[in-house]
Amino acid sequence: MSQSPDLGPVLLLPESMLRLTGPGPRIIELCDGTRTLAGVVEALQSEFSAADPEMIHREVLAFLASLEERRALNFE
Amino acid sequence: MTFVPRALIAEVTHRCPLRCVYCSNPLEMRSRSEELSTAEWQRVFGEAAALGVLQLHLTGGEPLARPDAEQLVKSGRASGLYVNLITSGIGLAEARLEALVAAGLDHVQLSFQDSEQAHADEIAGTRAHAAKLELAQRIRKHRIAFTMNIVVHRQNLARLRQMIALAEELCVDKLEVANVQYYGWAFENRSRLLPTRDQVRETVAIVDAARERLKGRMRIDCVLPDYYARYPKACMGGWGQGLMLIDPAGVVLPCHAARIIPGLHFDDVRSKPLRWIWNESAAFERFRGDGWMQEPCRSCERKTRDFGGCRCQAFLYTGDADATDPVCSLAPQRGLIDAVIANAATMNGESGAPKWVYRINPSNTPAHTSGD
Repeated sequence: MSQSPDLGPVLLLPESMLRLTGPGPRIIELCDGTRTLAGVVEALQSEFSAADPEMIHREVLAFLASLEERRALNFE
Repeated sequence: MTFVPRALIAEVTHRCPLRCVYCSNPLEMRSRSEELSTAEWQRVFGEAAALGVLQLHLTGGEPLARPDAEQLVKSGRASGLYVNLITSGIGLAEARLEALVAAGLDHVQLSFQDSEQAHADEIAGTRAHAAKLELAQRIRKHRIAFTMNIVVHRQNLARLRQMIALAEELCVDKLEVANVQYYGWAFENRSRLLPTRDQVRETVAIVDAARERLKGRMRIDCVLPDYYARYPKACMGGWGQGLMLIDPAGVVLPCHAARIIPGLHFDDVRSKPLRWIWNESAAFERFRGDGWMQEPCRSCERKTRDFGGCRCQAFLYTGDADATDPVCSLAPQRGLIDAVIANAATMNGESGAPKWVYRINPSNTPAHTSGD
């Protein structure tokens, strides 16, 4: 993940990049190689306690699945 | 209109242990004595990052021919760049691989020439295939992104399925099925490399099926030969629009081949700031916008998408770098490309070993001072 002066936060991938918006950068920070998927969801639920926890769960899963499809992320 | 470069292709040397018949390096190579130093590259990476560059592709020749490759990776990362190493992998021992990963390497792109050793070694002009297989298994054990690149052409497309199977076996994140692009050494060998139209059709079908089957496990990028396209490619995303290449001697170019275009002076990072070269130098300004275009490009609705195609290809075929890319079906000189396709088709059934023009290595002294 990198901070571009004009694009904002971006996730750099082999020969491509993904512009990150909303909680995207925070989710990627949380994927630190030690947290479990449940751990990432719980951390976000506590940080964004005003939002519906179910919605957070669904959206994090969808976001991470899209990253896996781009081969930007491995579930171990 | 201002353009922001996002990627820097750093050709850190032209030296290479392979002699691939489709090498994208220019016919006139830079010698070792001309190469930028470690400190010069470090400064350039910083200048590139300040301009907006996010991705650094360390390539060559063989970038590992430089003893300071680990330091170059470290410098790129220190400038905030995502560092990709494009390598043949020859001679990459485990200790050095570990040092590169420790230096912050994000991504390795390892080239293969074929799925079968004899064919691969013929194209590379040296025995390299077995070593690459062994290295690929070691790379996969590290936590870095791993791409396999296979350059495809008429002589190896019959084994495309086996090549994809090899990529699966090696568990790469991404496979690039890259048809040869006909510049540099590949242009010299084009009549033996250009696939047939049927091969191109089959490539599309095989790649589409593999993408579907491997979804989520492996990405497949596929570059088709533009000779069979109806419209030209937006070469490098447009001249001087998002990408720059710096050659071993520090000369800044909009693409791999641009030095072949006569009448352009390309500036170098030893004498000018990178920002000035990108924003203001005459060579980078030369094909920006559409003021330079001829018909049919000038009034074509596609000009904002493909920018008239490739300037180097226009020059190679028509002798005029301002011409419409001859691969375009609307180009007055499209017949030149059709003739190459027809010639390749007649050579297809030819027996006997192909007579390749192999890439040479640069001499130890600059080309313009060596010999008489």
